[in-house]
Amino acid sequence: MTRFVIRRLISMVLVLFAISVLTFLIFQVIPNGDPAQRMAGRLSTPETVAAIRRTWGFDDPIWQQYLTTMKKIFTGEVISYTQQVNVLDQIWQDLPATLSLAIGAGIIWFVMGVLFGVLSALRAGHFTDRALTVAALVGVSTPVFLLGAVALYFFAFKVQLFPNGGYVPLTQDPVDWLYHLILPWLCLSVLFIGIYSRVLRSNLLDTMSEDYVRTARAKGISERRVLVRHVLRNSLIPIVALWSLDFAAVIGGGAILTESVFNLQGVGQYAAESIHQLDVPPVMVVVMLGAFAVVILSAITDVIFALLDPRIRLTGS
Amino acid sequence: MYARVRIAGLALVAALALALVAAGCGGGGSNNGSTSGSSSGGGQEGGSISVLMGTAPDYLDPQLGYTTQSAEPDWIIYTPLVTYRHAGGTAGGELIPGLATALPEVSRDGLTYRLTLRRGLTFSDGRPVKASDFAYTIMRAIRVNWGGKSFFTSYIDGAAAYDSGRASSISGIQTDDATGAITIRLTEPYGAFPNVIAFPSAGLVPRGTAMRNLSNDPPPGVGPYMYTQASVNRGFTIARNPRFARFGIPDIPTGHLDTIRVTIVSNTQSEAQRVLNNDADVFDAGDTLPPSLLPQIESQASDRFAREPIPSTFYFFLNVTKPPFDNAKARQAINMAIDREAMVRLASGFLEPTCWFLPEGIVGHPGNDARCPYGLDRPDLAGAKRLVQESGTAGTAITVWGEERSPRREYVDYYTDLLNKLGYKAQERIIADEVYFPTIGNAKTDPQTGFADWIQDFPNPSDFYLLMDARAIQPTNNQNFSKVNDPHIQAELKRLNPVPATKLDSVADEWSALDQYTARRAYVVVYGTETMPKFFSDRLNFDAAIFHPTYLNDWTSLQLK
Amino acid sequence: MATVDSTVRAGAHRDRGADTAAGLSPYRLGLRRLRRNKAALAFGALFGVIVVLCLCAPLYADRVAHTSPNANHVTETVTVGGVRKDVVSPTGQPIGPTWQGRFLLGADQNGRDIAVRLLYGGRNSLEVGALATLLTMVLATIAGIVAGYFRGFVDGVLARVLDLIWAYPVVLLGIALGTSLALGGISIGPLHLEGNSLLVPAFIIGIVYIPYVAKPIRGQVLRLREQEFVDAARVGGAGPLRIMWSEILPNLSSTIIVFVPLMIANAILLEAALSYLGAGVQPPNPSWGTMISDGIRLIPSAMHLTFVPGLMLVLAVLGINVFGDGVRDALDPRAKVRLEEHAEEASR
Repeated sequence: MTRFVIRRLISMVLVLFAISVLTFLIFQVIPNGDPAQRMAGRLSTPETVAAIRRTWGFDDPIWQQYLTTMKKIFTGEVISYTQQVNVLDQIWQDLPATLSLAIGAGIIWFVMGVLFGVLSALRAGHFTDRALTVAALVGVSTPVFLLGAVALYFFAFKVQLFPNGGYVPLTQDPVDWLYHLILPWLCLSVLFIGIYSRVLRSNLLDTMSEDYVRTARAKGISERRVLVRHVLRNSLIPIVALWSLDFAAVIGGGAILTESVFNLQGVGQYAAESIHQLDVPPVMVVVMLGAFAVVILSAITDVIFALLDPRIRLTGS
Repeated sequence: MYARVRIAGLALVAALALALVAAGCGGGGSNNGSTSGSSSGGGQEGGSISVLMGTAPDYLDPQLGYTTQSAEPDWIIYTPLVTYRHAGGTAGGELIPGLATALPEVSRDGLTYRLTLRRGLTFSDGRPVKASDFAYTIMRAIRVNWGGKSFFTSYIDGAAAYDSGRASSISGIQTDDATGAITIRLTEPYGAFPNVIAFPSAGLVPRGTAMRNLSNDPPPGVGPYMYTQASVNRGFTIARNPRFARFGIPDIPTGHLDTIRVTIVSNTQSEAQRVLNNDADVFDAGDTLPPSLLPQIESQASDRFAREPIPSTFYFFLNVTKPPFDNAKARQAINMAIDREAMVRLASGFLEPTCWFLPEGIVGHPGNDARCPYGLDRPDLAGAKRLVQESGTAGTAITVWGEERSPRREYVDYYTDLLNKLGYKAQERIIADEVYFPTIGNAKTDPQTGFADWIQDFPNPSDFYLLMDARAIQPTNNQNFSKVNDPHIQAELKRLNPVPATKLDSVADEWSALDQYTARRAYVVVYGTETMPKFFSDRLNFDAAIFHPTYLNDWTSLQLK
Repeated sequence: MATVDSTVRAGAHRDRGADTAAGLSPYRLGLRRLRRNKAALAFGALFGVIVVLCLCAPLYADRVAHTSPNANHVTETVTVGGVRKDVVSPTGQPIGPTWQGRFLLGADQNGRDIAVRLLYGGRNSLEVGALATLLTMVLATIAGIVAGYFRGFVDGVLARVLDLIWAYPVVLLGIALGTSLALGGISIGPLHLEGNSLLVPAFIIGIVYIPYVAKPIRGQVLRLREQEFVDAARVGGAGPLRIMWSEILPNLSSTIIVFVPLMIANAILLEAALSYLGAGVQPPNPSWGTMISDGIRLIPSAMHLTFVPGLMLVLAVLGINVFGDGVRDALDPRAKVRLEEHAEEASR
């Protein structure tokens, strides 16, 4: 068991390292991505540009620049090229919006996904099932930014039911906070509800034809009890695994599109803007944080599963 | 009871008297800036408003700020030795004394500038202002790498040496704290130098202010307002500086509002919506009004919305050093064919068509008598096509460069299509705004044509002609994108640039002649001057609020109704 | 429960977990099942219709709309119901659907015909989707087979590389690559792609989805290589390459076939997302994503700019998703390979 955990830890560190290097290199390769020229402003002279290069170390060899940037990140002193603000401060400011979005949506999509999946499985082949399947498929086929834009149009312009985007901190006004997040939560959840309900449905249907379930039925246990007691527990395992991965990805900047459409000023939006401005430090930090979240959560999930299921532990898959 | 009646009666009389006085003052407000203290146009004194900015200021630190968003607060917080009249239109381009007693005395050879600091000035934190603070301020601007510091290092004697670290102070600036005398020596005559020391980055800060970016904790200054809270990415608050009124500086208003809270929103849609709904008071003039809301704004809020021109030139540069635009006929053809009305529509109406490189509001802008050499509002596509054929450049592959944000990308979409209609093989390259100018200004890119704009640094034609000056061509961060190298232009610039900014009117005709010559040579395709939205909530007195050509909304003129 | 099947090429044995009707090839069986699935067929036909429409873009542009996708008509007018209307108003509001030959579905802010751009954009979106899918399937299959077959060190390295791509937030990776490649294009050896080539977003999307497909394939190969027929082939003297090609690959074919429609859907969605963020198809070339992105800017005054490409996109993706579901049900009804478990991250 310990060896398993250690192996995962090592591979996690390696992945993080590789991601930071990859991000750094992507930006090095970009032509005309010279930050010194940008920072110097439109009316600068070559001397000014050279001075900036010297201050920031842009003339150093790549590996040295990489190490300097990493050092700055770990000591919390990393500043961005544009406006030279402390990246970690900025991320700290943006984190509540992303967390609020992720946690709220995460709860909604898990509950609704399971609900719809169970309903579909129970009424397999009937109208409810078909209707839910169609709804799920439409949900999976609609890009979230389109959904968000259309939702904003209908519910924020035509009928002024919800605000036109933006984020209000929980500490400032809980009711307003909720009010601003309802549409983003729903839009972000639609996709996952669609996926999870279908996965759960097919898992349930498969498991329900397993031998032990047949035995339970033969013993006279009601269908619903069979479902909840025997089948659901097993079928939920892959859903939980999926959920933790998706949740981590959303936190790590994966909800960029939702944040952009609703202008929540979260971590994802910050990362997207930074990439666009070819601002390397924030991108590296956000990407690493996101990858860290994904890797850690997937490692924890793997460990839990290994504890639960000896087969996985032994084969190491 | 008798006492109460008497007091009530006194109160009534006082109220009536006040009402009479207020009525007398009502309607007396003029648009040319209110002088300190008086209430004009029947508005209330005091109060606080909210301003929404869709783009954060680049810096709130006065020696670093170089965008309109930072200039708007900084020019009323950090007064320089000379500043501009608080007025709209061309009047707003006039230089007036700020912290100096008078406009600078310029020596005959144009190399020495003399000013005297006013007596009794203190910063907003109480520290006395000394003449040496000016020298320190300039040094600070250079040390923190202000984007326009080349204005100082190229012209002030000893500034370049200070910049490169060879000197510990600027030898060309001499100050005497006892008398308040300030003497500045230049390396060469530069007529626009009075404009240079009027930059907000030359706004005085106390000697000893840390030489690093202080955007989140700006230093004290001398001005009608001061910072009480600052977070460069989220917003800031300014409040009236109680010390300023005592100085009695003429022509710099002390302001009506008590506090102004500025919030950065980054979504112009909700920004405009909030101002439309009167949830916020000012839509920052530096932002683009989302065109989707224009119909609503124009119908519901026409009494508090206007389009104000600022001296700016929007054009497509034509690189004259390589095909096809090394050919004069090709360049003329484009100027003949461009449909400026289309550009105005692409800008949702926020563009005023023009063909001259010097925009309206700048001395030297050719007046209405001058005719555009290739037409202004009657595009001749057929004639242009013929000209392209004649030039022999038809079929040349062209890469058109552009910025991403709207409407600049749409301008380039239109322009590329136009080039294709004229018989070229044009393709677009749209790149992120942040990297646009460094990219097209880089000799390695050497672009053939693309979008360019210039918004005045200060109201002086030499600022615009920097972009036509062959001496300005450099391998990186080049701004003369057309790579113009015209001996006539060089000769004229040599003659006209040293004319002091305070005497510009005397050479207006010559600048106008030069500009008409430039238009005939078709080095660029000028299509318009930008207009900015002046858009307030209904709480503010819209008509009395000044729109300054350089600093946009003059917050000292804002007043609650 | 392996069944020897005579209609399949000799030497390649089938691994069937599901029941087969006696004598029929699994593909024939699958086809039969698919034919019975009316919904899947209907939606598949919908997708097919959209594809054909988009392929007819030049015809439409020439004969009906009399313009091209990038031609601007900013200051022109069009007669609708006897009234002359501006294609783009003086304050920049474009005209809505005219339901006539010209500007059938309206114009955009540059005065370009939306219907024409919709069809050409569809061509671009579908082309990017198809190319990306091709790239993903080829590379992922190779990676999955090699990793699963050789295991050990090779598997370790490949798995880590896939983990790397997988852990990187998909959209961020897409934007980063898209931005950098749009600036300078890419040069791999003799091959040079300009920044605005369609191959650039196709390349990015293709790479990003490799782990999505490679992992399940690897899992399946791990199981396959333990089967007796693989041992038999090895004993018979076949080298690893031959085994991978003749024994393992055919057994993966149903998995691969099932993945293709899903990947096309994901690719189209990711292209839309990248274009929305400015890192996909480069202007002025239309794609459904860029059209939606442009349209969102003009909400609420010109809703047709968002609705039209949005609806088309959803219908196309829905069509292929439902069809893909049907294919999956037909070929592999017990769904040994859980496709949705590796949830697509595109539209987050």
